[in-house]
Amino acid sequence: MKIPSRKNGAKKTTKKTEPTPLRIFLTLAQINTLTLGGGYVIVPVIGNSFKKQGWIDEEEFYRIFSRAQVFPGPIALSTSFLCSYKIAGVKGAIAAVLGVVLPPFIALILVGGFISLYGDTELFKRFLKGAGAVVPGLVGSMLWKTAKNRKWTTRALIEVGLLTILLVLFPSAAFFILIGGIVVIYLGRLIWKS
Amino acid sequence: MEILKISLAFFKIGIVAFGGGWSVVGLIKQEIVPSWMSVDAFSSLIAIAQSTPGPIALNAATLVGWQKAGFFGALAATFSVIAFPLLAMSLTLAFSRYIPIKKDLADESLRSGSMAMIIMTLWTLLPQNTIPMPWIFALASFGITAFTQINGVWVILGSGAINMLLGLLP
Repeated sequence: MKIPSRKNGAKKTTKKTEPTPLRIFLTLAQINTLTLGGGYVIVPVIGNSFKKQGWIDEEEFYRIFSRAQVFPGPIALSTSFLCSYKIAGVKGAIAAVLGVVLPPFIALILVGGFISLYGDTELFKRFLKGAGAVVPGLVGSMLWKTAKNRKWTTRALIEVGLLTILLVLFPSAAFFILIGGIVVIYLGRLIWKS
Repeated sequence: MEILKISLAFFKIGIVAFGGGWSVVGLIKQEIVPSWMSVDAFSSLIAIAQSTPGPIALNAATLVGWQKAGFFGALAATFSVIAFPLLAMSLTLAFSRYIPIKKDLADESLRSGSMAMIIMTLWTLLPQNTIPMPWIFALASFGITAFTQINGVWVILGSGAINMLLGLLP
Protein backbone atom coordinates (compact mmCIF):
# COMPACT_ATOMS: atom_id res chain seq x y z
CA MET A 1 0.00 0.00 0.00
CA LYS A 2 1.25 3.43 -0.86
CA ILE A 3 1.34 6.04 1.79
CA PRO A 4 -0.09 9.25 0.40
CA SER A 5 2.51 11.95 0.25
CA ARG A 6 1.71 14.87 2.45
CA LYS A 7 2.93 17.86 0.58
CA ASN A 8 1.37 20.33 2.94
CA GLY A 9 2.99 18.71 5.93
CA ALA A 10 6.36 18.75 4.23
CA LYS A 11 5.91 22.40 3.39
CA LYS A 12 5.15 23.25 6.97
CA THR A 13 8.54 22.03 8.23
CA THR A 14 10.39 24.15 5.68
CA LYS A 15 8.34 27.26 6.37
CA LYS A 16 10.46 30.35 6.12
CA THR A 17 10.55 32.76 9.00
CA GLU A 18 12.22 36.08 9.53
CA PRO A 19 15.48 35.63 11.56
CA THR A 20 14.67 37.99 14.42
CA PRO A 21 17.02 38.00 17.45
CA LEU A 22 14.29 36.43 19.56
CA ARG A 23 13.76 33.55 17.11
CA ILE A 24 17.51 32.99 16.86
CA PHE A 25 17.75 32.90 20.64
CA LEU A 26 14.85 30.47 21.01
CA THR A 27 16.09 28.19 18.23
CA LEU A 28 19.60 27.94 19.68
CA ALA A 29 18.38 27.69 23.27
CA GLN A 30 16.15 24.79 22.33
CA ILE A 31 18.92 22.96 20.46
CA ASN A 32 21.43 23.57 23.25
CA THR A 33 19.04 22.30 25.89
CA LEU A 34 18.16 19.11 24.06
CA THR A 35 21.39 18.06 22.35
CA LEU A 36 24.02 16.16 24.30
CA GLY A 37 27.53 15.29 23.27
CA GLY A 38 29.92 17.94 22.07
CA GLY A 39 30.30 20.53 19.35
CA TYR A 40 30.61 18.21 16.38
CA VAL A 41 27.26 16.63 17.27
CA ILE A 42 25.47 19.90 17.77
CA VAL A 43 26.74 21.94 14.80
CA PRO A 44 24.93 19.88 12.12
CA VAL A 45 21.71 20.15 14.17
CA ILE A 46 22.07 23.93 14.19
CA GLY A 47 22.78 23.92 10.45
CA ASN A 48 19.64 21.90 9.71
CA SER A 49 17.45 24.10 11.84
CA PHE A 50 18.74 27.34 10.29
CA LYS A 51 18.34 25.87 6.83
CA LYS A 52 14.79 24.66 7.50
CA GLN A 53 13.77 28.13 8.59
CA GLY A 54 15.18 29.54 5.39
CA TRP A 55 17.85 31.61 7.15
CA ILE A 56 20.92 30.26 5.40
CA ASP A 57 21.74 27.64 2.78
CA GLU A 58 23.80 24.59 3.65
CA GLU A 59 26.90 25.52 1.68
CA GLU A 60 27.11 28.93 3.29
CA PHE A 61 26.59 27.41 6.74
CA TYR A 62 29.47 24.97 6.38
CA ARG A 63 31.67 27.67 4.89
CA ILE A 64 31.10 29.71 8.06
CA PHE A 65 31.62 26.57 10.19
CA SER A 66 35.02 25.97 8.67
CA ARG A 67 35.91 29.60 9.29
CA ALA A 68 34.71 29.34 12.87
CA GLN A 69 37.29 26.64 13.57
CA VAL A 70 40.08 29.19 13.33
CA PHE A 71 38.73 30.83 16.48
CA PRO A 72 39.18 29.47 19.99
CA GLY A 73 36.21 28.60 22.17
CA PRO A 74 33.40 26.09 21.78
CA ILE A 75 32.72 25.43 18.10
CA ALA A 76 28.94 25.58 18.66
CA LEU A 77 29.40 29.08 20.06
CA SER A 78 31.63 30.42 17.29
CA THR A 79 29.55 28.90 14.47
CA SER A 80 26.29 30.24 15.94
CA PHE A 81 27.86 33.63 16.57
CA LEU A 82 29.23 34.07 13.05
CA CYS A 83 26.12 32.67 11.32
CA SER A 84 23.73 34.81 13.32
CA TYR A 85 25.84 37.89 12.69
CA LYS A 86 25.64 37.11 9.00
CA ILE A 87 21.85 36.71 8.96
CA ALA A 88 20.77 39.21 11.64
CA GLY A 89 23.64 41.56 12.45
CA VAL A 90 24.97 42.50 15.87
CA LYS A 91 21.67 41.85 17.66
CA GLY A 92 21.52 38.40 16.10
CA ALA A 93 25.06 37.66 17.28
CA ILE A 94 24.22 38.71 20.84
CA ALA A 95 21.06 36.58 20.76
CA ALA A 96 23.18 33.65 19.56
CA VAL A 97 25.64 33.96 22.45
CA LEU A 98 22.78 34.01 24.96
CA GLY A 99 21.11 31.07 23.24
CA VAL A 100 24.26 28.96 23.46
CA VAL A 101 25.39 30.03 26.92
CA LEU A 102 22.24 30.42 29.02
CA PRO A 103 20.64 26.94 28.86
CA PRO A 104 23.77 25.00 29.90
CA PHE A 105 24.47 27.63 32.55
CA ILE A 106 21.06 27.16 34.12
CA ALA A 107 21.31 23.36 33.80
CA LEU A 108 24.74 23.35 35.45
CA ILE A 109 23.57 25.57 38.33
CA LEU A 110 20.79 23.04 38.95
CA VAL A 111 23.23 20.11 38.70
CA GLY A 112 25.69 21.96 40.95
CA GLY A 113 22.94 22.49 43.51
CA PHE A 114 22.01 18.83 43.28
CA ILE A 115 25.63 17.81 43.88
CA SER A 116 25.96 20.07 46.93
CA LEU A 117 22.86 18.39 48.34
CA TYR A 118 23.64 14.75 47.51
CA GLY A 119 27.35 14.80 46.64
CA ASP A 120 28.29 13.36 50.03
CA THR A 121 26.12 10.25 49.87
CA GLU A 122 28.08 7.05 49.28
CA LEU A 123 25.91 6.03 46.32
CA PHE A 124 26.34 9.31 44.48
CA LYS A 125 30.08 9.27 45.10
CA ARG A 126 30.25 5.85 43.46
CA PHE A 127 28.24 7.17 40.51
CA LEU A 128 30.62 10.09 40.01
CA LYS A 129 33.65 7.83 40.33
CA GLY A 130 32.31 5.45 37.71
CA ALA A 131 31.39 8.31 35.41
CA GLY A 132 34.86 9.85 35.81
CA ALA A 133 36.60 6.54 35.15
CA VAL A 134 35.59 6.52 31.46
CA VAL A 135 36.92 10.01 30.73
CA PRO A 136 40.43 8.85 29.64
CA GLY A 137 38.75 6.38 27.28
CA LEU A 138 36.63 9.12 25.72
CA VAL A 139 39.67 11.35 25.27
CA GLY A 140 41.47 8.40 23.66
CA SER A 141 38.64 7.84 21.24
CA MET A 142 38.55 11.55 20.36
CA LEU A 143 42.28 11.33 19.65
CA TRP A 144 41.78 8.24 17.51
CA LYS A 145 39.03 9.86 15.44
CA THR A 146 40.89 13.14 14.99
CA ALA A 147 44.08 11.32 13.97
CA LYS A 148 42.21 9.08 11.56
CA ASN A 149 40.56 12.01 9.78
CA ARG A 150 43.71 14.01 9.25
CA LYS A 151 45.92 13.93 6.19
CA TRP A 152 49.25 13.12 7.79
CA THR A 153 52.41 14.57 6.32
CA THR A 154 55.93 14.28 7.75
CA ARG A 155 55.68 17.95 8.65
CA ALA A 156 52.43 17.49 10.57
CA LEU A 157 53.90 14.49 12.44
CA ILE A 158 56.97 16.49 13.47
CA GLU A 159 54.82 19.47 14.56
CA VAL A 160 52.53 17.34 16.70
CA GLY A 161 55.43 15.28 18.08
CA LEU A 162 57.56 18.22 19.17
CA LEU A 163 54.63 20.16 20.61
CA THR A 164 53.44 17.11 22.55
CA ILE A 165 56.89 16.47 24.03
CA LEU A 166 57.14 20.10 25.16
CA LEU A 167 53.64 20.02 26.67
CA VAL A 168 54.29 16.78 28.56
CA LEU A 169 57.72 17.89 29.81
CA PHE A 170 56.67 21.39 30.89
CA PRO A 171 52.98 21.20 31.77
CA SER A 172 53.08 24.33 33.93
CA ALA A 173 54.02 26.37 30.86
CA ALA A 174 51.37 24.70 28.67
CA PHE A 175 49.56 27.94 27.91
CA PHE A 176 52.62 29.71 26.52
CA ILE A 177 53.95 26.61 24.78
CA LEU A 178 50.65 26.30 22.91
CA ILE A 179 50.40 29.91 21.82
CA GLY A 180 54.08 30.07 20.88
CA GLY A 181 53.93 26.65 19.25
CA ILE A 182 50.95 27.47 17.04
CA VAL A 183 52.50 30.76 15.95
CA VAL A 184 55.82 29.04 15.13
CA ILE A 185 54.03 26.27 13.21
CA TYR A 186 52.04 28.85 11.24
CA LEU A 187 55.13 30.90 10.39
CA GLY A 188 57.00 27.73 9.52
CA ARG A 189 54.31 26.74 7.07
CA LEU A 190 54.25 30.27 5.66
CA ILE A 191 57.99 30.49 5.10
CA TRP A 192 58.96 26.93 4.09
CA LYS A 193 56.30 25.71 1.75
CA SER A 194 56.89 22.06 1.03
CA MET B 1 39.91 37.00 45.36
CA GLU B 2 38.95 33.43 44.58
CA ILE B 3 36.58 34.66 41.85
CA LEU B 4 39.32 36.76 40.28
CA LYS B 5 41.73 33.81 40.19
CA ILE B 6 39.11 31.52 38.67
CA SER B 7 38.22 34.16 36.08
CA LEU B 8 41.83 34.62 35.08
CA ALA B 9 42.37 30.87 34.78
CA PHE B 10 39.35 30.44 32.53
CA PHE B 11 40.16 33.54 30.49
CA LYS B 12 43.52 31.90 29.68
CA ILE B 13 41.76 28.62 28.87
CA GLY B 14 39.45 30.48 26.49
CA ILE B 15 42.40 31.82 24.51
CA VAL B 16 43.73 28.37 23.61
CA ALA B 17 40.46 26.42 23.50
CA PHE B 18 40.97 25.17 19.96
CA GLY B 19 39.72 22.07 18.25
CA GLY B 20 36.74 20.67 20.11
CA GLY B 21 36.10 20.37 23.81
CA TRP B 22 38.30 17.40 24.65
CA SER B 23 41.56 19.02 23.63
CA VAL B 24 41.19 21.75 26.20
CA VAL B 25 40.46 19.41 29.11
CA GLY B 26 44.19 18.85 29.76
CA LEU B 27 44.74 22.58 29.99
CA ILE B 28 41.81 23.04 32.36
CA LYS B 29 43.32 20.31 34.50
CA GLN B 30 46.68 22.09 34.43
CA GLU B 31 45.01 25.25 35.74
CA ILE B 32 42.86 23.76 38.51
CA VAL B 33 44.52 20.50 39.68
CA PRO B 34 45.79 20.19 42.37
CA SER B 35 45.31 23.73 43.72
CA TRP B 36 41.51 23.65 43.57
CA MET B 37 40.59 19.96 43.39
CA SER B 38 41.96 16.41 43.23
CA VAL B 39 42.46 14.43 40.00
CA ASP B 40 39.52 12.13 40.82
CA ALA B 41 37.20 15.03 41.54
CA PHE B 42 38.36 16.59 38.28
CA SER B 43 37.54 13.47 36.25
CA SER B 44 34.06 13.35 37.78
CA LEU B 45 33.59 17.03 37.01
CA ILE B 46 34.54 16.47 33.37
CA ALA B 47 32.13 13.54 33.20
CA ILE B 48 29.34 15.80 34.46
CA ALA B 49 30.33 18.58 32.07
CA GLN B 50 30.18 16.17 29.14
CA SER B 51 26.87 14.56 30.06
CA THR B 52 24.99 17.83 30.56
CA PRO B 53 23.87 19.99 27.63
CA GLY B 54 26.31 22.57 26.34
CA PRO B 55 30.00 22.87 25.38
CA ILE B 56 32.34 21.01 27.73
CA ALA B 57 34.71 23.94 28.38
CA LEU B 58 31.78 26.16 29.24
CA ASN B 59 30.21 23.58 31.53
CA ALA B 60 33.50 22.87 33.28
CA ALA B 61 33.91 26.60 33.87
CA THR B 62 30.41 26.91 35.32
CA LEU B 63 30.93 23.90 37.61
CA VAL B 64 34.35 24.94 38.90
CA GLY B 65 33.11 28.49 39.48
CA TRP B 66 30.04 27.18 41.30
CA GLN B 67 31.97 24.80 43.52
CA LYS B 68 34.61 27.35 44.49
CA ALA B 69 32.65 30.60 44.73
CA GLY B 70 28.90 29.98 44.35
CA PHE B 71 26.61 31.62 41.82
CA PHE B 72 28.80 34.60 41.05
CA GLY B 73 31.81 32.36 40.72
CA ALA B 74 29.90 30.33 38.13
CA LEU B 75 28.84 33.48 36.30
CA ALA B 76 32.36 34.94 36.28
CA ALA B 77 34.03 31.71 35.15
CA THR B 78 31.51 31.13 32.36
CA PHE B 79 31.85 34.67 31.08
CA SER B 80 35.64 34.51 31.29
CA VAL B 81 35.97 31.40 29.20
CA ILE B 82 34.02 32.92 26.29
CA ALA B 83 35.40 36.46 26.66
CA PHE B 84 38.45 36.03 24.45
CA PRO B 85 36.75 33.98 21.70
CA LEU B 86 33.96 36.57 21.41
CA LEU B 87 36.46 39.40 21.38
CA ALA B 88 38.57 37.69 18.72
CA MET B 89 35.55 37.06 16.49
CA SER B 90 34.19 40.59 16.89
CA LEU B 91 37.55 42.15 16.06
CA THR B 92 37.95 39.87 13.06
CA LEU B 93 34.49 40.78 11.76
CA ALA B 94 35.31 44.45 12.17
CA PHE B 95 38.83 44.40 10.76
CA SER B 96 38.97 41.30 8.59
CA ARG B 97 40.18 43.35 5.64
CA TYR B 98 43.38 44.26 7.47
CA ILE B 99 44.23 40.79 8.81
CA PRO B 100 46.45 38.97 6.32
CA ILE B 101 46.09 35.49 7.84
CA LYS B 102 46.08 32.58 5.40
CA LYS B 103 43.13 30.48 6.48
CA ASP B 104 44.28 27.08 5.19
CA LEU B 105 47.69 27.45 6.85
CA ALA B 106 46.09 28.63 10.09
CA ASP B 107 43.75 25.64 9.91
CA GLU B 108 46.58 23.14 9.60
CA SER B 109 48.60 24.84 12.35
CA LEU B 110 45.65 24.78 14.73
CA ARG B 111 45.03 21.15 13.87
CA SER B 112 48.58 20.29 14.93
CA GLY B 113 48.12 22.38 18.08
CA SER B 114 44.85 20.77 19.11
CA MET B 115 46.18 17.29 18.34
CA ALA B 116 49.10 17.88 20.72
CA MET B 117 46.62 19.19 23.31
CA ILE B 118 44.51 16.04 23.07
CA ILE B 119 47.58 13.81 23.51
CA MET B 120 48.63 15.85 26.54
CA THR B 121 45.10 15.59 27.95
CA LEU B 122 45.13 11.82 27.52
CA TRP B 123 48.62 11.56 29.03
CA THR B 124 47.68 13.46 32.18
CA LEU B 125 44.36 11.67 32.67
CA LEU B 126 45.56 8.06 32.34
CA PRO B 127 45.11 6.10 35.58
CA GLN B 128 48.16 6.68 37.78
CA ASN B 129 48.52 3.11 39.06
CA THR B 130 47.94 -0.49 38.05
CA ILE B 131 44.67 -1.12 39.89
CA PRO B 132 42.73 -2.94 37.14
CA MET B 133 39.30 -1.34 37.62
CA PRO B 134 39.98 2.17 36.24
CA TRP B 135 41.86 0.67 33.27
CA ILE B 136 38.96 -1.64 32.45
CA PHE B 137 36.49 1.25 32.50
CA ALA B 138 38.80 3.42 30.38
CA LEU B 139 39.61 0.73 27.80
CA ALA B 140 35.99 -0.39 27.49
CA SER B 141 34.79 3.18 26.97
CA PHE B 142 37.53 3.74 24.39
CA GLY B 143 36.44 0.65 22.47
CA ILE B 144 32.78 1.60 22.55
CA THR B 145 33.12 5.25 21.55
CA ALA B 146 35.93 4.81 19.02
CA PHE B 147 34.41 1.93 17.05
CA THR B 148 30.63 2.32 17.40
CA GLN B 149 28.26 5.24 16.89
CA ILE B 150 27.19 5.22 20.55
CA ASN B 151 27.19 8.71 22.08
CA GLY B 152 29.79 9.12 24.83
CA VAL B 153 27.13 10.54 27.13
CA TRP B 154 25.53 7.10 27.47
CA VAL B 155 28.89 5.56 28.23
CA ILE B 156 29.43 8.08 31.04
CA LEU B 157 25.97 7.63 32.55
CA GLY B 158 26.11 3.84 32.09
CA SER B 159 29.45 3.43 33.77
CA GLY B 160 28.34 5.66 36.64
CA ALA B 161 25.29 3.45 37.07
CA ILE B 162 27.38 0.25 36.88
CA ASN B 163 29.80 1.48 39.51
CA MET B 164 26.87 2.47 41.72
CA LEU B 165 25.32 -1.01 41.37
CA LEU B 166 28.68 -2.66 42.10
CA GLY B 167 28.64 -0.76 45.38
CA LEU B 168 25.30 -2.31 46.29
CA LEU B 169 26.71 -5.84 45.95
CA PRO B 170 27.38 -7.51 49.30
